[in-house]
Amino acid sequence: MFVLLEDAGFQRVRSTVVPGFAFRKESTRDAAEAYGVKAVLFTAQKPAT
Amino acid sequence: MTDVALLHAEEQAPLEGVIKGEVLRMYQEVAEHPEGEFHFYHGRRAAELFGYEPEWLDRAPPGAVASFAGVGNPHLRSRLQPGETVLDLGSGAGLDSIIAAWQVGPTGRVIGVDLNPTMCRKAEAHAAASGLRMECHEGRMEDIPLPDASVDVVISNGVINLSFRKRTVIRELFRVLKPGGRLSITDIVSAKQLSQSIVNDPKLWAS
Repeated sequence: MFVLLEDAGFQRVRSTVVPGFAFRKESTRDAAEAYGVKAVLFTAQKPAT
Repeated sequence: MTDVALLHAEEQAPLEGVIKGEVLRMYQEVAEHPEGEFHFYHGRRAAELFGYEPEWLDRAPPGAVASFAGVGNPHLRSRLQPGETVLDLGSGAGLDSIIAAWQVGPTGRVIGVDLNPTMCRKAEAHAAASGLRMECHEGRMEDIPLPDASVDVVISNGVINLSFRKRTVIRELFRVLKPGGRLSITDIVSAKQLSQSIVNDPKLWAS
């Protein structure tokens, strides 16, 4: 997502992992951990000119 | 588009349609039966976990809070100002739109876009019950039904990961933002390429 934002032309792209995010079901949670699944907060700005 | 990319898109098209249907079904289920159990945490418990202000959750319509299905808190970094125009991409039952509307005030404007027209009407009703005006447009995030350079801020919560065409979605966000506009979005990302068995499973993709 970070790269997609930069490729689109966004500037000041920032990302922060959302603490506390988890899937409720254990089976889904285990699969998510195996794939490094995280919730992330992204911020970015479109250039002013 | 290259021949290979075109072939890939054609192969994915039927699956994309199935997943769209599953996404519609799952999030309507959350809205209509929030007491149910899903792969993800939802409702007030999830919102509190992500740092939503308790006073927001007390003040918003219970239906909007109970149907909350976000993955984080885009309001932490949105820095909304009175008078701004906000797009809530994938507005669902409307909780994030309502919180945004409180921040931009009566001189601001909040526009929701959601794939599901039933959810759009529900979000508008929740906003109206809060004494707010929010307009919601049925539409796809890959083809946002708004003019170029028409919004100051985009917020979104756990939606873009549902798209097969994330690059197109991000380009659309860039298009609808005014110069100098900004976005604050929370979403799910994976460090590794998901296996084809997950990609091909509409229920897992939708969750």
